[in-house]
Amino acid sequence: MVLSGVVMDASNNAPLEKAVVEIKELGLKFITDIEGHYHFYNLCKGSYTIVVNHMSCDSIKYKLTVQQNIIQNFKLPHAINELENVSVNSKRDLNLNTIKEVLSSKVVDATRGQSLGEVLSRANGVTVLQTGSTIFKPVIHGLHSQRVLLINNGVRLESQQWGSDHAPEIDPFIAEKFTIIKGAGALRYGNDAIAGAVLIEPKALPKGAQTNAEFNTGYFSNNRQYVVNGMIESSPVKFPELSYRLQATYKKGGNARTPNYWLHNTGLQEFNYSGAVGLRKEKYNTELFVSSFNTDLGIFIGSHVGNLSDLQNAINASKPTQNIDAFSYTIGRPKQNVQHYTIKSKSQFYLPNNNKLNLLVSYQKNLRKEFDRAMLSNRPELDLDISTTMADVNFETAPTKKISSNIGIVGMLQENVWAGSRFFVPNFRTQNIAVYSIHNYNVNNWMFDAGARFDYRHLRTYRNKSDSVTAANRTWGNASGTLGATYKITPNFKWLINGAYAWRAPQVNELYVNGLHHGTSSFEIGNANLRSEKALNFSTQLKYQTDSSWQFDISVYNNFITDFINLIPSVPATLTLRGAYPTFRYVQSNAVLRGIDFSIHKTLNRSFMAGAKTALLWAKNSDTKEWIIQMPSNRIEGDITYSFANKILPNAAIELRYMHIMQQTRIPTSIADYIPPPNAYSLLNLDFSSDVAVGKKQISVGLTVVNLLNQTYRDYMNRFRYFNDEPGRSINLRIKLKL
Amino acid sequence: MKQIKLGIICAVFMMLMAGCSKNVSKPNDENEHEAINKIELVFAETGGATTSFVIEDPDGDGGNPPSRIDTIKLNSNKQYNVTVKIYNIANGVVKDVSATVLMQATSHEFYFIPSGVSVTVQKTDKDKNGYPIGFLSSWQTAGAGSGSILFKLMHKTALKGPNDGPNVGHSDIQLNLPITIK
Repeated sequence: MVLSGVVMDASNNAPLEKAVVEIKELGLKFITDIEGHYHFYNLCKGSYTIVVNHMSCDSIKYKLTVQQNIIQNFKLPHAINELENVSVNSKRDLNLNTIKEVLSSKVVDATRGQSLGEVLSRANGVTVLQTGSTIFKPVIHGLHSQRVLLINNGVRLESQQWGSDHAPEIDPFIAEKFTIIKGAGALRYGNDAIAGAVLIEPKALPKGAQTNAEFNTGYFSNNRQYVVNGMIESSPVKFPELSYRLQATYKKGGNARTPNYWLHNTGLQEFNYSGAVGLRKEKYNTELFVSSFNTDLGIFIGSHVGNLSDLQNAINASKPTQNIDAFSYTIGRPKQNVQHYTIKSKSQFYLPNNNKLNLLVSYQKNLRKEFDRAMLSNRPELDLDISTTMADVNFETAPTKKISSNIGIVGMLQENVWAGSRFFVPNFRTQNIAVYSIHNYNVNNWMFDAGARFDYRHLRTYRNKSDSVTAANRTWGNASGTLGATYKITPNFKWLINGAYAWRAPQVNELYVNGLHHGTSSFEIGNANLRSEKALNFSTQLKYQTDSSWQFDISVYNNFITDFINLIPSVPATLTLRGAYPTFRYVQSNAVLRGIDFSIHKTLNRSFMAGAKTALLWAKNSDTKEWIIQMPSNRIEGDITYSFANKILPNAAIELRYMHIMQQTRIPTSIADYIPPPNAYSLLNLDFSSDVAVGKKQISVGLTVVNLLNQTYRDYMNRFRYFNDEPGRSINLRIKLKL
Repeated sequence: MKQIKLGIICAVFMMLMAGCSKNVSKPNDENEHEAINKIELVFAETGGATTSFVIEDPDGDGGNPPSRIDTIKLNSNKQYNVTVKIYNIANGVVKDVSATVLMQATSHEFYFIPSGVSVTVQKTDKDKNGYPIGFLSSWQTAGAGSGSILFKLMHKTALKGPNDGPNVGHSDIQLNLPITIK
């Protein structure tokens, strides 16, 4: 017999993750997954007592008789005092009816030690835009950079995000939960989430007089990279209202290796730390969070071409000639050095009738230095210093009511100063003020939401040509909005429909850039007359999850973008004393991006589970009817998992994952690329994971073989596809120790 | 607790003020480049006169194309000792940066590749590993004609060898200089 079901929050029917479902008589326990799902196989007929526990809910006890396979769902009432604490960390009500994917804790564990972009690319419909083997930028439904908002612990990441070679400055170790919102729906965080948003959330601070520590380490054989991470959190016995957490990560990797050669100067080094302290009182709670992210990234020496003829030489060589085929941890020029600091204060005041007032103040500083080959001095060529201050006041009505509302005002001040030996973007000051209002309405099996937001943005740039400073102003103002509905056909079968309007003011680089872009051997020229980019996004999703057998999820989206800003090659090439450079200009056109994400999973029996997924995208310039350049190609994935358990390995699983990335054939004919998109390729990855019982301590281990067959391939979404193959096989080991 | 909160807000605002003080409104001069934007080739004819030819791009990469590219004019069947001088011009100030590049001689090399004219070029200076540099060279002209010289400065950190071709490394300078021999 099989007993299975879903554990939900009684107040809003949201699935509860990490609820413990226990069969008292048998001493069997199951911890629910992200969808609140649990199951027990091979039960004998009989009567059982089921106890369901969740850290933020009252536990319930339930008697039931098993005669046949049973589906039993549980609704847990919230403990009165705990309700607030849960919603501090979950803003799920705010973008209820958007297509979103939460990475399972299994995926989060399996990707420990990797960069944020790599972690997020495990979600369907999310790919990465790569610069070599160290720089990964998340791409949602074909769009990236400013069109994807990254919300790090409630604070929108503000850095020099405009460059395709600028990776997000976030340490994934900070977070426990990664939610990818696909499509424009993240009104709460900005008007400009044209592609979507990613919520990166740490787990809640501990409470109730407990102290926990966790230690993680990992080794990646391909580039001989090692990672160590430690975390300690506590809520003191003498002062249980107070809690704190300290966390740090260090990472060092050397040159990456393709199946046939090493890539010189592709090492990386990273040191990150963060601290949080929280106070929970009857009337309010407050939290202070500080984090620092520091990285040095080597740029493959063979990619750093001087001019167009160097680029042609590099492309024509089947194997990079400007290379030293040996391993080293040394990072020399060309390289990037990036530091990012965040300080955040978040408070929540409990008002009468379960209403809440949230106050969030944050400050971020981002220092980016990019070094070319050493030339006349040791100064970095690009040296940018951007600081951002944000304040957000938000009023939230009780989520338990039929209609719940969220109203807020956000202010932002941002300043950028450049100091390198080469001009790229001007100094600027941006001010942004926004008001938003988001409402949810629940009736029977329907859940509706509607939201509106208005933004006003002012940009003042300062330029200095031959000691004469000129300032220029630009302002933009516009509304954005969302409308969505979810219908529960059955408790396990949901249909969602969503429409959103988002807009984005052109960024300072799109307007005023004028210079050589590091490493890309291209000259970029901005367009001061750009209008803002507007997107009308429609999406729908069918999601089915039976309790122990089938799961499927199909999403279809249409993103109509007016005045889509794109960087395209233009003639003539820029002539310099260094030779001729290919030149790119920012232009605008209308665009339509359509796609389908589909995934299906089947639990075959107690030991085997199989799944498949695919992400398809059609991106067209609707003015010229041509395909848009640099879009991810279609891909399919299949996986099969074998689970087993014994005394030493209580929950072992072996997963084999097959990925097939098709060749991108949807490319514009009027825009010439240096070489056609690379061929299709297939990869096999193998992953083993389990907890290991060692006394009372809990140790989790994982062993992953990436690119099992040591395949030689290049990827269209890697800007270094002109120069080198992708890395070959890597055997990655990870260990997690909980104290 | 109120005080703590107030303290936090104050701290944030102090940082905000610190952020303001870095002078967004006083930007650096965009015309200041630490790049080579003037080159001078000095030709000393054995038993003859010394002439120099100049290439200039005062606004650096981008902006306007190079404003001056002199045609190299040489006499037939003569020997020349040639010196390359490189400069950085910023806001009218001319700085000789040849010495800086010479200090990094083990990772730089000049190339002079004639086409359409008969000239033989021999680099006469060497870095500390005994590999050619090219600040100094000896040119031997043959018959009259006109054509071009592909003039390159290659940057080859960790890559430089004794007999590298002109495509080893990355281009710091690449110019096609017109040449006439009469």
